[in-house]
Amino acid sequence: MGDILRMIVVLSALCGLSGFALSYLKMVTAPGIEEQVLTYVQGPAIHKVFTGLDNNPIADRKAFSLPDGREVRVFPARRGGLLVGVAIEDKGKGYGGAVGVMVGFNVADDTLAGIGTTDLKETPGLGMRIAEPAFTGQFIGKPLPVALKAQGGGIDAVSGATISSAGAVTAVNNAAAVYKALKAEILKTWGK
Amino acid sequence: MSVMHEFTKGLWQDLPPFRLVLGLCPTLAVTSSANNGLGMGAAVIFVLVLSNMLISMVRGIIPKKVRIACFIVIAASLVVAVELLMQAYAYPLYQQLGIFVPLIVVNCIILARAEAFAAKNGVAASVADGLGIGLGFTLSLTFLGSLREILGNGTWFGIPIMWEGFEPFRIMVQAPGAFICLGLILAGMNVINVWQARRKGLREPDPVGCSGCGCCSLDKKD
Repeated sequence: MGDILRMIVVLSALCGLSGFALSYLKMVTAPGIEEQVLTYVQGPAIHKVFTGLDNNPIADRKAFSLPDGREVRVFPARRGGLLVGVAIEDKGKGYGGAVGVMVGFNVADDTLAGIGTTDLKETPGLGMRIAEPAFTGQFIGKPLPVALKAQGGGIDAVSGATISSAGAVTAVNNAAAVYKALKAEILKTWGK
Repeated sequence: MSVMHEFTKGLWQDLPPFRLVLGLCPTLAVTSSANNGLGMGAAVIFVLVLSNMLISMVRGIIPKKVRIACFIVIAASLVVAVELLMQAYAYPLYQQLGIFVPLIVVNCIILARAEAFAAKNGVAASVADGLGIGLGFTLSLTFLGSLREILGNGTWFGIPIMWEGFEPFRIMVQAPGAFICLGLILAGMNVINVWQARRKGLREPDPVGCSGCGCCSLDKKD
C-alpha cells in the first residue's frame, strides 16, 4: 500500500512541477514567438501580396475589434505615402486543419490585391499546391466575394485538392467580411 | 571511470548514430543540410544533458516501478521547452526541423542514456555522459548533413563551395541519399576500427550492431 502511495505521490509531483515550469516558460516566450511568426510567416506573405511598399506593414499593424467582439490584426500597405491596401489574415477549413491565408485588399476599388498562404497542413503534392502562384495568382484583381468555378465563381480549384482549395476560398471570403466591416474605421485610421 | 572518460566515450567508442546505431530517425530525416544537422544536434544536447542531470538528481526518490514514466515526463517537458525556445529565438530552424523537434521525446538516445546511465550514476558523470553523447550525435549529424549538402546541393552551411558548373546529385538531399551516406559511413567506421585493432594487435572488434548498445540482452550469447 505504501509503495503504491509513494508511486502516486512521486509521479504526480513530477508531472505537476513540469506543468508549472512549462506554463511559466510558455508565458515568457509568448511575445517572442509572436514576433518571430510575424517576421517569418506573415511578413513574407504580405510582401508576396504587395510589392514595392515604402512602409513596414508588420511594424505598422493595428488591432481592430469587430462588432462581435473579435479582435483582428490589420496590416496597412503604403506606396508613395498613400494607403493602397490592407492585409488581413483569416482561416478556412482545409483537409489537414485550418488553412491560413493572408488576404490583401485594394482600398481604392475593394478588389483583391492577392493572397499568400501562412498556415498550411495540407497533403504534400496535392493540397500544399494551393500555396503555388498558379493557384494564388488567380485571386489578383478579383472582385469580392470569390467562389470556385464549381460554385459558379472564377477560381480554378487545384485538381485533387478541392477541399484545400475551398478552404482557401472560405478564408478569403472570411477576410473579406472582416474587411467590409472594418473599412470605414481603417480609412479613418490610416486614410490619405 | 572518470568524468573525462564518460565525456569522451560518446565521441568515438559510443558514437550514437554510427556506433550505437541509435536515433536513426532524425539522423536520416533532418540531415539534408549541415545547418539542420547542427540545429537538431544542439536541441538534442540541450535535452540530453538536462534530462541526464535531472534524472540523476531524482534517481533516489523515484520508485523503480514507475521510473520509465518519470523519465518520459522529464524528457517530454524538456522537449516542449526546447520547442518553445526554438520558436521564440530560431524560427527558421524550427520551420526546417518541423515534426522532428517534438519527436526528440521518443528518440531512443534520450531514454537509453536515462535508463542505462543516469539512473545509476552521479550528477557530474551523468552530465558528462549527456554532453559527450550529445556532442557525438551533433558532430555525426553535422558530418552527414555536410556530406549530403555538398554533394546534393554544392553548398556547405549555405555557402557555395563546389567548382563552377558542378552538377549536384539531387538524390543526396532526398531520402535515398541519407541511406546511401549512412551505409557508406558505417562501412568506413568498421574499416577504421578493424584497421586500428590490427595495428594494436588486438582481436578484431565485432561489427557495428546490437552489441554496441547494451540496453537490452539481445546480444548476450548463452
